[in-house]
Amino acid sequence: MQEPDLKMFLFFSELLGRSIIDYNGKTLGKLVDLKVKLGELFPNVVTLRVKLRGEKSSLALDWSLVQSLNGNIVSLKPDAEKEFKPLELSEGEILLKEELLDKQVVDTYGAKIERINDIHLLITDGELRIVHVDFGMRGIFRRLGWIKIVDFLTNWFFAYRFPEKMISWKYVQPLASDPQKKNLKLNVTLRKLHEIHPSDLADIIEELDHEKRATVFKSLDLQTAAETLEEVNPKLQISLIESATEEHASDILEEMAPDEAADLLADLPEDKKIKLIQTMEKPHRENLEELLKFKEGTAGSIMTKDFISIQVDKSIGDAIDEFRKTTHPLETIAYLYITDKESHLVGVLTLRHLLLCVNEAPLSKLMNTHLVKVKPEEDVEKVAEIFKKYKFMAIPVVDKDDCLSGIITLRDAVESKYKEF
Amino acid sequence: MGRRFFKSRWKTLLIFLAVVGPGIITSNVDNDAGGIATYSMAGAHFGYGLLWSLIPIMVALVIIQEMSARMGVVTGKGLSDLIRERFGVRITFYLLLALVLTNFGNVIAEFAGVASSLEIFYIPKYVSVPIGAFLVWLLVVKGTYRSVEKIFLFACLFYITYIISGFLAKPDWDLVKNSVMAPKFEFSAGSLGMLIGLVGTTIAPWMQFYLQAAVVEKNIKVKDYKHSSLDVILGSLIVTIVAGFIILTCAATLFKAGIRVETAKDAALALEPLAGKYCSILFAFGLLNASLFAASILPLSTAFVVCEGMGWEDGVNKKFSEAPQFYGLYSLLIFFGAGIVLLPGIPLIPVMYISQVINGIVLPVILIFILILINNKKLMGEYVNKGVYNFLSWVTVIILSGLSIALLVSLLWG
Repeated sequence: MQEPDLKMFLFFSELLGRSIIDYNGKTLGKLVDLKVKLGELFPNVVTLRVKLRGEKSSLALDWSLVQSLNGNIVSLKPDAEKEFKPLELSEGEILLKEELLDKQVVDTYGAKIERINDIHLLITDGELRIVHVDFGMRGIFRRLGWIKIVDFLTNWFFAYRFPEKMISWKYVQPLASDPQKKNLKLNVTLRKLHEIHPSDLADIIEELDHEKRATVFKSLDLQTAAETLEEVNPKLQISLIESATEEHASDILEEMAPDEAADLLADLPEDKKIKLIQTMEKPHRENLEELLKFKEGTAGSIMTKDFISIQVDKSIGDAIDEFRKTTHPLETIAYLYITDKESHLVGVLTLRHLLLCVNEAPLSKLMNTHLVKVKPEEDVEKVAEIFKKYKFMAIPVVDKDDCLSGIITLRDAVESKYKEF
Repeated sequence: MGRRFFKSRWKTLLIFLAVVGPGIITSNVDNDAGGIATYSMAGAHFGYGLLWSLIPIMVALVIIQEMSARMGVVTGKGLSDLIRERFGVRITFYLLLALVLTNFGNVIAEFAGVASSLEIFYIPKYVSVPIGAFLVWLLVVKGTYRSVEKIFLFACLFYITYIISGFLAKPDWDLVKNSVMAPKFEFSAGSLGMLIGLVGTTIAPWMQFYLQAAVVEKNIKVKDYKHSSLDVILGSLIVTIVAGFIILTCAATLFKAGIRVETAKDAALALEPLAGKYCSILFAFGLLNASLFAASILPLSTAFVVCEGMGWEDGVNKKFSEAPQFYGLYSLLIFFGAGIVLLPGIPLIPVMYISQVINGIVLPVILIFILILINNKKLMGEYVNKGVYNFLSWVTVIILSGLSIALLVSLLWG
């Protein structure tokens, strides 16, 4: 383009429909869309999509053949009219009007779904780049052609101006999918999507239609997918797991907290459940099979095996080491459970003990032996009442031999109680 | 073989019951205050003369609702969402504006229904309407709509009274048959208006949006689509039968006696064969139920549809400041809808009737959009409108548009 140092902001709505004029001043047609190559922070336009006079379908023209965007037209370089060719869409390329304008996208900054009213572009160094996306009322007024009148009226009556509601393109994750692979067309990197809190991601996924849901879910990494799945409503959980391949689904289940995974599996149709469990790796599978043995509504169905236990003949220092060594995730770090050589539960210690007592202190002297414990068959109602009375962070679950089977955390008890409503 | 046969039959029935609902619920809400008023007037002022129109109207209803349901199942999106994505914000804005105004007319009709039904008990509208408006507003805000929906639906059994009354009134069945088989139609502004009113009240524009949204919310999968078609057909059948009997009963009682429907009390007399002197009470109950049912759904549905199309926050789970346009629109519809009914001297029954005529005039516009969308192969895949069915759909739209234009012409030059 001719003026390399000129920086100019434009709205996409101002470009759409502009006449395409060749070097000799003849009107060839009009601009109907722009194709952008994704990948950079502010991606640039690579192709124009034009509707030529007398042609039924639209054609493509390389951006490099554009002379200037001055005036309300698109003027081309000499002989540009010979370079029209059919439009192709490759991987990582996106059409602005077809796939972005008026469509829903994820605003990864505000962690919600928004609809694009307009797109803010910048001409710099001969390139046309996307810089912002407009979600606000100004965008709507601009598309309707009313922006000048509205500004005049609101200013005259209320000394008010509708604020811009624009977001930098780097926070926008389009929901368009690649034609071949059906994956999300990614803006820059996937990290932005993962930075959203799983609860917010769950809200976003719940708001999308089922095709987009599956695409977004598929593009999440295992850990985010697992955390998000835990937050989504049960009906949707099943639908998402069923939409994933068995391999992928079992990987996600392995990443989830075992009690959540068990709940999800319990709600699936029997044959699907068996297939998924069989696809999982051995330690996870055994864990889950044990949890699944317990009936819904019992303590066993909401307990988890992610806790720390240590032998009674050890010291505080050993306990701290044990804590440090633990690599698998823990449901709670508030308590440490003490067992004897035969795995019977004999006492409990709190984090406070670990922090305040000397390393040499023996656990047997410090531990609390008055334990409130429940059996796996216990009703969740009773469990909730125990939490209400004693206000513990977690309660141990012991089998008929008084051996530690698992723990129930306050969070799990509350969740199961609220499900009853 | 025997056991497997039964199992597959049961499975079909269960799937049907699981997806049933959107079509049947929509059709029951369809029989709202405007509906009862329009059907009553059609029977009372034209006798059996317009009964024939219910058959082509039902065919059109089935076709149009099936398309809405199909779009909902295949795309998983609401109608205003699709319109926004395919046609852009400008067209969406003007279409939604027309829809809001039309629905506003319908909301006025619902509150008019509340007022006129309770007037039968001598409760002045200045008492009944504000209380009704407050109740409706409360239902939504307290989130108890879903549980109350069942009660409203149950009360829709009221329409059976029209069927019973219709038989008790001993209509001249030969005359009925002739009127349906060999209809005579005069092109006056009056009968044209009534015809469009019948179309508009049976196939209300807002219903297409509501049905599609309900189908999407039920998350009906594409493979269960046949069951949702059945649900739509069943719903349409119910609407038509109820409408038919209201017209029939009013024709057999009111038209015969030369009673014109000016107030709800007049319309109530149609139930005299069944209920004797209690006909007014029975009618009042039915009208009140229909009005409140629709008044709870319509403003809410309108707010949802507008926010979906314009990209604004929606949902009753959000605070007012989080979704100002949603709550604002919803409250305005109820407030002004009820407010207009409170204006002194407002003729309630004509108001209900005119709102349905407006429905009928706006309907072809919405239908054109639906047809363009449903012919889009990229959107609908293999479920795109095909062949004869497509031809029928376009013919329906053209006829309906023709009627609306004819009415407007006769009103301007009449």
